[in-house]
Amino acid sequence: MGNKILGITDFILFSSIALISIFGLILLYSATNQDIDVVIKQGTKLIFCFTLMLLIGSININKIKSLTPYIYLLCIVLLLVTLFWGHDSKGAKRWIIFYGFSLQISEILKIIVPMMIAWYISNYEDKEIEFKKLIISFIIIFIPIAFIVKQPDLGTSLIILLCGLITLFLSGIKNNHIKYLVGLFLIVTPLIWRFFLLPYQKQRIMTLIEPASDPLGSGYHIIQSKIAVGSGGFFGKGFLNGTQSQLEFLPERGTDFIFAVFAEEFGFFGILILFLFYLAIIIRCINIATKAKTYYAKILAGSITSIFILLILTNISMTIGLLPVVGVTLPLLSLGGSALLSVFIAFGIMFSINRRI
Amino acid sequence: MRKSFLDLNRVNSEKLFSRRFILLLIILSILSLLLITRLYYLQVISYEHFDTLSETNRIKYIPTPPRRGVIYDRNNIVLADNAPLYSIEINIKEAKDIKTIIDAVNVEIGLTASEINIFHKKKLKYSHHNSIILKSNLTESEIAKVLSIRYKYDGLDVSASLLREYPYKKISSHVLGRIGYIDKKDLTRLDKKKYQSSKYVGKTGIEKYYENHLHGTPGYKHVEINARGRQLRDIDEKPSIPGKDLYLTIDIELQKYMYSKLLGYTGSSVAINPKNGEILAMISAPALDPNQKLWKLDFDQEEASNLKSPMFNRATHGLYSPGSTIKPIMALNGLHKNIINASQEFYAGPFFQLPNNSRRFRDWKPKGHGTVDLEKSIVQSCDVYFYMLANNLGIDNISSFLKYFSFGDKTGLDMPYEASGVLPSNNWKLKNIGTNWTDGDTVITGIGQGYFSATPMQLAYSTSIIANKGSIVIPRLNKNSKPIKSKEVLKKENFLKNAISPEYWETITDAMYKVVNQKNGTAYWATKNKRNNIAGKTGTVQVYELSQETDERSKENIPDHLKDHSLYIGFAPRENPKIVIATVIENVGGGSKYAAPISNEIISYYLDKIREKN
Repeated sequence: MGNKILGITDFILFSSIALISIFGLILLYSATNQDIDVVIKQGTKLIFCFTLMLLIGSININKIKSLTPYIYLLCIVLLLVTLFWGHDSKGAKRWIIFYGFSLQISEILKIIVPMMIAWYISNYEDKEIEFKKLIISFIIIFIPIAFIVKQPDLGTSLIILLCGLITLFLSGIKNNHIKYLVGLFLIVTPLIWRFFLLPYQKQRIMTLIEPASDPLGSGYHIIQSKIAVGSGGFFGKGFLNGTQSQLEFLPERGTDFIFAVFAEEFGFFGILILFLFYLAIIIRCINIATKAKTYYAKILAGSITSIFILLILTNISMTIGLLPVVGVTLPLLSLGGSALLSVFIAFGIMFSINRRI
Repeated sequence: MRKSFLDLNRVNSEKLFSRRFILLLIILSILSLLLITRLYYLQVISYEHFDTLSETNRIKYIPTPPRRGVIYDRNNIVLADNAPLYSIEINIKEAKDIKTIIDAVNVEIGLTASEINIFHKKKLKYSHHNSIILKSNLTESEIAKVLSIRYKYDGLDVSASLLREYPYKKISSHVLGRIGYIDKKDLTRLDKKKYQSSKYVGKTGIEKYYENHLHGTPGYKHVEINARGRQLRDIDEKPSIPGKDLYLTIDIELQKYMYSKLLGYTGSSVAINPKNGEILAMISAPALDPNQKLWKLDFDQEEASNLKSPMFNRATHGLYSPGSTIKPIMALNGLHKNIINASQEFYAGPFFQLPNNSRRFRDWKPKGHGTVDLEKSIVQSCDVYFYMLANNLGIDNISSFLKYFSFGDKTGLDMPYEASGVLPSNNWKLKNIGTNWTDGDTVITGIGQGYFSATPMQLAYSTSIIANKGSIVIPRLNKNSKPIKSKEVLKKENFLKNAISPEYWETITDAMYKVVNQKNGTAYWATKNKRNNIAGKTGTVQVYELSQETDERSKENIPDHLKDHSLYIGFAPRENPKIVIATVIENVGGGSKYAAPISNEIISYYLDKIREKN
């Protein structure tokens, strides 16, 4: 194909990602009260991420597959490093800092865990996934989760679990096993609530059910965010005119709640347009997944597509108070490094998968 | 074995993938559609609800307190003004760790142990307030130091407010009263709208009585704020309306002089202009400096170290037996009832006895006054004459006549909580003591002792009626008020002016003149300046009844708190009275020794000053 230069193997996909990312910078300008420094810093990170994406895109997918277990192991080691020498912020050790860059490994694992599952299962193509393989797959998922729970970061752990399960589902585990897993889930969840959740984590979930019960405490963020979204109306208040965000009623405007800023300033109409762009990305990804040649590539492309949709849905649900605030950013729009890196690695892989067509 | 469409078939793994992928995409699509529906509901259907919330979120209503009216004396000298006050406040609802904040402030500007102690007391007592003052009256450098650490502590703030300033301090304190923080009790009675932004309210004295006049109407500001509560810009404003100024009848120069005369004593003095009821000066001693005492607690501290209830306004609350100062009115009563006539002479021995009763009602003069007529009885304050007179009048006559001079009733003065005193009567005793009135009770009422009690204000008021020969003026402190005489007062005035012969008024004022200006008068030697034609009457009130057997009154051996009260009433000039005075000095001794000279000096000071002016 003609447009395979630099790993851009799907032009529509590439331009949609680029458009949303650039728009993300503009939105960030509004979300940070017109702090151009933050925007420039984020722009720099974006350029780096784009380069990395195209670099990965130009690598053969089989090469990536063969590297997968090593990348996975490297990530586990880095998680250990985080746990012992990580940077402490707000009572959680989630970051490692080198050369001034802070990296949250748990974010990267959202893509690495599916890669590892895909690698493991695809090694046994045309064979049944019996109980032993299922157990090993779960070990792959739970080793990093154990470290991340310890940080503590329950939200990201849950998301990684979900990512792993999606991959497992797509890679064809038995129906019976799915039934058992659902049964196990129903038994274990109440036990986790009872014995493992910290009070602040319970609080988050409780305020979700009734935010008005604590309007100035944990419910505050949810209430302010809902006000921001709702007061946006159909056409929005206009760029830089969102009172909720400009007057700083919205918490975490650049990261977790960037969607509220968007919804307030661009309204329901703006959201529909944004969704069209996301839809373009998703359709291209589905296309890549269906056309993928190898079993590894297929499972991985399907997983990435599904996870991408899932993250968008989770973030927005969080913003409008349908899910607890679990710290999931909005892919391509939210401020941040590690989450961005994770998304661009995923798209790099998509481009790489597309190369082999 | 039954095979469902999803069942694993490794030969067809690609097909299985496609099926599951499609299934997953369908689930995610349904979730997406639900989410879009939810967004539509929030943004389009509930738009107005959230729009209102967003508007109210960012607009803050800030009430602006009105400036309190300034209080002036009769010559436009400022008695109470407002001055900016900077204080360190701790918002006890916001502060996370109050102790840390206090420590930090202590490091910056230094706090005394009592300041910290009082803060903790206030915190308990005024827990309905958000902010409690830690230290007031900051200097500029203290303000700067505290502001420099403010950002570190939630709840720490420096507040600026207008505070009442009383330049005459103790001198004017009982007249003006004070303002103080609005407390829980105030909250229940005050108009919430009017006081939404006010911190202080008049607590006592004029500040309390004229609270509505002085307070003003608050305004408001709509301000756009951000989430941290920082004010970004004003949206609209309605300025507050300052409270009205108040002009008092007090002559602060006279007040100052009166204060200096009473300094060191416990007691009270009231000076009234009998022509219009204007209160020229009113002192209750001791007094406290009301400046910057915004909590009652501030006073309690000082009061504890002080001896004789300095918070208590003796002028309007102190109840004293009128003693011999009541004799002119008793005499008038006797003349009116034709029980005596002015020239009739009696023999007054050392004591009076009721028939069939061994109790001796002694005269203050151990040997008695000998032959006395009405004038001599007043001039020399003969007790036995008035024992006889009272006995002949009977209590019903006495109490109904005293009623015309408003004893046992409020004068109608514009001060909060005026005491009424006790007008002795059969009914009163039955109700309050529970026993029947006795003839002995009547006898001592004749010299203003026993159950009879009145405030210095009431004494000045009744004296103004004597000075006016029956005309009644309601005492007042607000120069611009026109007190309306009630029907009852008009009825009294009608009686006093028309039913009592002018000749009788002349008789008693003449006798009072001689008290001061005739050599044997009880206030003669006490009055150096005789230019002002003062008429007066001394009184000595027994606080402690000596036993019947003690013939010699060895007053020197009595402890201070059992010593006699010294009383005096007077007015001048006799023909055309311009000032009336009533003075009570507690526990010092005879009326002619203390209250009379003090009062007459005050009268002379005032009249000399008027003369100078003209």
